[in-house]
Amino acid sequence: MKLSSYQMYWIVMISSIVTTSYLPIHLAVEKARQDGWISMLLGGLAMLFFTWLILKVCKQNENKTLITFMRELLGTVLGKILVLMYFLLWFRHLTTISRGTVDFQNLVMLHNTPMILILCCLLFLVAYCVCKGGLTAISRCAEIIGPILIVMLFFQLFLNPQDMNYKRILPVYADTGWLPILTGTFNSYCYIVDPSIALMLFYFAENKQTASRAILWGTATTVIWGVMATIVLMFVTGPQIASELVVPIYSLTKYISILNFIQNIDAFYIPLWLLAAFIKLSLCLFMLSYGLSEWTGFRNWRLIACIVTGIWLVFYIYSNYNIRLSFTLKSVILEGVYYPFVYLVLPAILWVIGSVKKRRKAKHSIS
Amino acid sequence: MRRFLRMAGLSFILLITSAGCTDFVEPNQLAFVIGSGIDYAGDGMIEISHQIAIPSKLSGSSQGGGPSDSESFIVVSAKGRNVFEANEKVQRKISRRLMTSHRTLVVISDELAEKMDLNKMFDKLNRDPANNQRDLLIMIKGSAKEFMKIKHPLEQLSSIATNKELLINGWNHYSIRQFMIDYAAEGTRAVLPFLQIDNNREEKDKVHLVLLSGYAVLNKQLKIKGILNDSEGDRAVWMAGRGTFQPLTIPWKEGNGRLSFRLTHLERQIHLANGKNHGNIQMTVKAQAYLLDNTTELDMSNVNNMVMVKKYLDERIQKDMQVTFNSIQQWGPDIFGIGEYYHRKHPYWWKSQRDDWDENFKKINVSIKANILLRSTGTSGGQLND
Repeated sequence: MKLSSYQMYWIVMISSIVTTSYLPIHLAVEKARQDGWISMLLGGLAMLFFTWLILKVCKQNENKTLITFMRELLGTVLGKILVLMYFLLWFRHLTTISRGTVDFQNLVMLHNTPMILILCCLLFLVAYCVCKGGLTAISRCAEIIGPILIVMLFFQLFLNPQDMNYKRILPVYADTGWLPILTGTFNSYCYIVDPSIALMLFYFAENKQTASRAILWGTATTVIWGVMATIVLMFVTGPQIASELVVPIYSLTKYISILNFIQNIDAFYIPLWLLAAFIKLSLCLFMLSYGLSEWTGFRNWRLIACIVTGIWLVFYIYSNYNIRLSFTLKSVILEGVYYPFVYLVLPAILWVIGSVKKRRKAKHSIS
Repeated sequence: MRRFLRMAGLSFILLITSAGCTDFVEPNQLAFVIGSGIDYAGDGMIEISHQIAIPSKLSGSSQGGGPSDSESFIVVSAKGRNVFEANEKVQRKISRRLMTSHRTLVVISDELAEKMDLNKMFDKLNRDPANNQRDLLIMIKGSAKEFMKIKHPLEQLSSIATNKELLINGWNHYSIRQFMIDYAAEGTRAVLPFLQIDNNREEKDKVHLVLLSGYAVLNKQLKIKGILNDSEGDRAVWMAGRGTFQPLTIPWKEGNGRLSFRLTHLERQIHLANGKNHGNIQMTVKAQAYLLDNTTELDMSNVNNMVMVKKYLDERIQKDMQVTFNSIQQWGPDIFGIGEYYHRKHPYWWKSQRDDWDENFKKINVSIKANILLRSTGTSGGQLND
C-alpha cells in the first residue's frame, strides 16, 4: 500500500474540506459576525502551522509508523498511552461526520427512511471499502472524486452574482472587536483541517519530499476555500442571517438562481459532499484499524476494521439517545485542551525529543 | 459459481435498500404549489391558501399558452396557529404531497401585517429546508385568498402572472431572502411591493388584472407605517438603491408639453454632507436617461437644448425626490439604508444611534442631489409638426 503524492493531495484536501464546508463556518460566524472570515483565516493559519510542525515530526521518522515512532521517542508505556489520543480523535471524526451525513439526509431528503438503514448502508460501504481495498481503494476513489468536488465547491461560490453585495462585510472589526473574533477562531479552528492524517499517512507515501509538499498544498487549498466561502456567505446573506444558518454552504447553494432557470444546485452539492464524506470516513476507519492492529500486535487489521465498525454503530445509536453526547462541537474541554494537545503539544514534544536524539546521535558518531 | 451468487445476492439487497425507495414519491403524487397566500383569520389564527397547478390542464405552447375554459389550478386553504400547522391542514385535504420548491410567490394580506407578528411567520421559511427562499414576497390590499382565486386573462396562474409582472417592471429585489436580510439588518427597514386587485374589468367573472400599486413601508416590528403610491414608490426604491430601471414623464417649463424618459442604471450614493457633522447626509442619485417621447417645442438635435433638458431634469428629480424623502422620513422607518451607511462607514457613531433608529432617523438632515446622464435623445431630432 503506497500513496503517490498526487493521491496524497486529494486525500488530505477532501478529508479537510468535508469538515470545513460543514462545521467551522457556522461556528466562526456565530461569534464573529461579519468578521467571521478573519476568524477562519486565523484558524486556518494556525492549522497550517500545526500541519507544518507535524510534517517536521514525520520527516524525522519517515520510515516508521506513528505507533512505532511514538513508542521509540516516548518509551513503550507512555507512547502507547498517548497514541490512544489519536485513536480517540479518529473515532470522534467517524462519529461526527457520520452523524452529519445521516442526520442531514434524514432532514433534507429521506423523511421516512429509518435512520438505522441509512447508517447501516453507509457503514457497510465504508467497511467494505476499507476491508477489500484498504488504502489503495481509498486513494483511487479520492483521485476521482477530488477534482469534481473541488471544481464544484469553488464554482458554486460564484453562482450568486446577482445577490452579492460586497458592502455587507463592512464594517470590518468595529462591530465585533478582538474578543469575538478570537472566540470565533477558538470555536472553529479544530474543524478547519485535520493535520493528524499526515501523522499516519506519511509512512505510506512513496516520495517523502513531494508528499509533504502535497499535504501542505492540500491544507492550504482548504483554508483558502474556507475563507473564500465565508466571505461569499457574508456577501450573499449578510451577518445577521449568516449567523443563524447551521449549514451555511448548503443554504448558499439553495439561494442560487441564475436567470430564474438554473436553480436547486443542491442536488449536485449533496451527493458530492456525501462522496467526500465517504472518503473521509473510510480514511479514518483505515487509520484507526491499522493503528490499532499495530498497537495490539494483532496483525489482521481487516478484522479490527469490522470490529471498530460494530463499536461505531453501537456508539452512534447510543449517542443518538443522548443529546448531550451528540452535540459536543462547542465543548470547551475538547477545544481548549484536547485538540491543542493532539494537534500542537504532542507533535511539538515529539519534534523536540526527535531533534535532541538526532543531535546526540550525530555527536556520538563524531566522537 | 457460489461466489458469483453471493455477490449477486448482495448487490441485489444493496440495490433495494440503498436506492432510498422508502421515500420515493412519483411526480403524480406531488402537488406543485405555485403561489401561497397568508391571511389573518381572527383569534390569533392565520389562513393559508395554496394555489396548486393542475398539470393536465396546463396547456402547452401549442395552444398559445392562454387560459383554457376549465381552470388550470385549484386553491386550497386552511386555518392554523402558525404556518406549519395550517400547511399540514391543507395537506389533509389533498391527495398529493404539497411541494413548495417550485413556488414563485408568497402573498400576505395587509390585515395580517397589522394584526399578527410577521417576524414569527417567517421562521419556518428559514428553518425548513423544503422551502426555497427565492420566491417573491408581496403584500396585498384585501384578501390573499381572493388573489389566489383570480383568473388571469393572459397567464394560467395569477401568481405566475404577478411574478412576471414584477420582473418585467424591474422589481426584482423582493425575494423572501432579501426581505429577511432587510429585516435582520440594523440600519435598513423593509419595503414590500403592494398590490391591488383591479376591479374595473367586468367582462367575465373572476377575471381581473392585478395592479402593482406601490410599496408598503414597514418598521422594525414589521408593522405598516405607510403606503407609497406608484410614482412615490419608484422614487423611494431608487433612493433605497434597489431600483433597476423605470419610466419618467415630466412636464416641461410653463406647461408646454411633456418629456418622457426611460431611466436605466439607477444608482444612489450616500456621503456625509460636510466633514465631521454626522447629522447631515447628502444623497446623490444617478441614472442614465433615454428620451423617448417629446411633446415640447424643443429641437433635441440642438446641443444647447440638450444641456437645458439635462439641467431641468436634474432639478426636477431633485425636487420630487426631496419631497418623497421628507414624507417617508416623517413616518420613521429608514428604508433607504442610511442607517446601514452609518453602520458601515461610521460604526462607532452608529452604536450610539442604533437602538432607537426609527426615532433618530427623523432627526437626520438629508439633502438630495440628482446627476442624470442624458445618454440619447432618440432617433428623431425635432418634431414632425411642420
